Amino acid sequence: MISKQLLNIVMLVEIGLLALAVGVFFAHGFWLLLNQRRIRRLTDGARESLSHLVTRGTVNVEDIDALRQLPNDVQVIAFLEMSRNVTGTGKERLSFVARQVGLVDRAEKLCASRRWTRRLRGARILSRLGVVDPLVQQLLSDPHPAVRAQAAEWAAAQPSVPVISAMLILLADPATQARFAVQDALLRMGGIVAGPLATFLERHTGRAAEAGLRVAESLAEPSFGPAALRLSRANDVGVRVAAAKLLGAVGDAAAAERLMELLDDADSGVRAAAAHSLGRMQHWQAASLLALRLRDSAWKVRRAAGLALRSVGAPGVLFLRRAIKEDDAFASDMAQQVLDLPTAAASG
Amino acid sequence: MSGFMQTAVSQILVKGQFVVLLYFLAVNGWYLILLVSSLLELRRHMLLITDESRHLLLSSTLSPTISILAPAFNEETTIDASLRALLALQYPNLEIIVVSDGSKDRTVQVLIERFDLVPVKTIYEQRIKTKPVRSLYRSSTYPSLVVVDKDNGGKADALNVGLSFARGELVCAMDADTLIEADGLQRMIRPFLYGTDVVATGGTIRVVNGSEVKFGRVVRTAVPTRLLAGVQVVEYLRAFLFGRLGWNRLGGNIIISGAFGLFQREAVLSAGGYLHDTVGEDMELVLRLKRLSYERGGPGKIAFVPDPVAWTEVPESTKVLGRQRDRWHRGLADVLWRHRGMFLNPRYGVTGLVVFPYYAFVELLAPVIEAVGLIALALGLATGVVDWSFAGLFYLTAYGLGTALTAFTLILEDLSFHRYETFRDRALLFWWALVENIGYRQLTVYWRLRGLWKFMRGKKDWGSMERKGFHPVPAG
Repeated sequence: MISKQLLNIVMLVEIGLLALAVGVFFAHGFWLLLNQRRIRRLTDGARESLSHLVTRGTVNVEDIDALRQLPNDVQVIAFLEMSRNVTGTGKERLSFVARQVGLVDRAEKLCASRRWTRRLRGARILSRLGVVDPLVQQLLSDPHPAVRAQAAEWAAAQPSVPVISAMLILLADPATQARFAVQDALLRMGGIVAGPLATFLERHTGRAAEAGLRVAESLAEPSFGPAALRLSRANDVGVRVAAAKLLGAVGDAAAAERLMELLDDADSGVRAAAAHSLGRMQHWQAASLLALRLRDSAWKVRRAAGLALRSVGAPGVLFLRRAIKEDDAFASDMAQQVLDLPTAAASG
Repeated sequence: MSGFMQTAVSQILVKGQFVVLLYFLAVNGWYLILLVSSLLELRRHMLLITDESRHLLLSSTLSPTISILAPAFNEETTIDASLRALLALQYPNLEIIVVSDGSKDRTVQVLIERFDLVPVKTIYEQRIKTKPVRSLYRSSTYPSLVVVDKDNGGKADALNVGLSFARGELVCAMDADTLIEADGLQRMIRPFLYGTDVVATGGTIRVVNGSEVKFGRVVRTAVPTRLLAGVQVVEYLRAFLFGRLGWNRLGGNIIISGAFGLFQREAVLSAGGYLHDTVGEDMELVLRLKRLSYERGGPGKIAFVPDPVAWTEVPESTKVLGRQRDRWHRGLADVLWRHRGMFLNPRYGVTGLVVFPYYAFVELLAPVIEAVGLIALALGLATGVVDWSFAGLFYLTAYGLGTALTAFTLILEDLSFHRYETFRDRALLFWWALVENIGYRQLTVYWRLRGLWKFMRGKKDWGSMERKGFHPVPAG
């Protein structure tokens, strides 16, 4: 039989572990309570000093001193909280004050750290404060994708030629996190990206081009037209789909013509994207071709063609009504469903 | 009893005790590894998410579309609030597909009246065979809302129908009465943005009983004071915070809760969708996706993300809870049996060599071993082979380490999300962690054994789940 002695030893170890866990659990709870109170008390004061400095526009030494004396964690909380509520001049003042109190210096040191978690933290603070800093720009080529993504987020508010060039290179980033952040940041930079992006699209294919096309589609600048036309002939299906969508956003005559050709593409995804884009352009001249696509073998093409016809307006609706009486059950059913859709759902 | 018999029983009991105690220690030792793993994973996760700007994702036109699949069966009292909460989720490209699975009450009528639904021609791309769809509705005021009314076929069938209607790159499977926190999807989508190898992600399920709910949102969290709900809070924390999070780091997650999971739609459709003839359809799908990723290549990572939270109402009657646990265990047995080819098969990597044996020996067989231990102890007492002091000591030792690990789980919760802030809640949590060993755990052993027995007899019914609904709970 297992000896009582052995059980007693195991039991004692367990009691020790349990006591430790309970002690830590309640002690941590108590610490949390005290810490929350401390942070609340200190941030109230910090908030007041910061709002003076940010809204008045004059540098008050007393307020800066008060902020400088705050513990680091409270400083970060107060500045990041304020950063959410200010833009433009307010943000510039905030980053000026952050530099004065030493927060920017500390964040820069973090950016230069060997540990990626610290670099991420530093980049995050500088991004939120909107600090123009070459250190963060360097992080666009950081080995860790989370840090690159954070640097891209920072870059969204710093649209300059070197930053945009560095960002465009990252469109081919193998890490999706960084790629998504770069796409999003380029989009947020707005029209300034259009020229470099158009040049980029003219020279690239594959994953980088596909990522760029998605950004271009949202920016919808006419200058993307030639690149979209070229890429709509790419071998890669994903690129052709993205190019078809961009052509719909560009919306000129050449785009419409190419989209009508793409309705006969070998890939159903490309045909669906072309139909969708023609609907987006409300290109009524394509109504008869779209009506033919109601008989397509692929569901998503029939669906996209039906919705596009509905978007086109009266001519499209006429084709849909005719399709209801067709012998082709696929076309007839799809036409009926699209016509049944409430306006909000049809355009969604 | 004759001398020979007594000696034989004594020998069996002595050896049995060793086996049971060793089993308990081995299992708890493995739990300890999981706990350390989850601690490291949680630390990394907290470093990644501290001060992150999710509002960028929220306002980005590049965010992938998510289709929420919400199966509903006889939910007329709760569907309005649940759906409004879903429509108010903070995510830019969202589609909501409510599938009424042959509801016999006014679920569909309530939806038609309150969400301006109009019938549209019922056609869809059927890639998975399902029960017939009766009608399809779209809303005049909520463009992203799709309501499907179909013949009753069970939750798996309803989800498969939802998959057919979904157009998002990702689908979120949930229960119609699950309350997803407003920013839950923004948080849960992260792994899909971080890597191309992710096929599914799951969030944390927390117990809503005892908390205050307003307009489909939990506005004040509190640990319930009633026994059954209280111990389940501790159970859920343990399951999610150290179970799934621990496996995350070890690369062995194979469970995504059916109440809140995000999947790559195309991967699920290619795998054939949810299986109808199992009660563990959520685990079965995840394991199948994992298995197919080994067999066919392609994405196969299952990621658990601890911070997105969905709240669920847990049963407060032993009858309903027993049925639920019995069903869960039947589901586990069924899934492991279906995929037994993975067991200790090096072709399936960590899943075949570590995760599968863990689920078979620890999760599936635990109630058998525990029951054997308890019966042996009772027999030992009855035959006088063991005395009361030894029995008490043995019992406390067997359950002691588990309790300590539960207490460490509470610390994990406190170090990370600390949703339960008051001293009262902390005390209650700890109280339930102690109390669950006295009676409740033994009950779950019985329910799980019943589930195993039913599985061996081939029973596949779900049983009914009675819910009280999310009514405001008075503070206190």
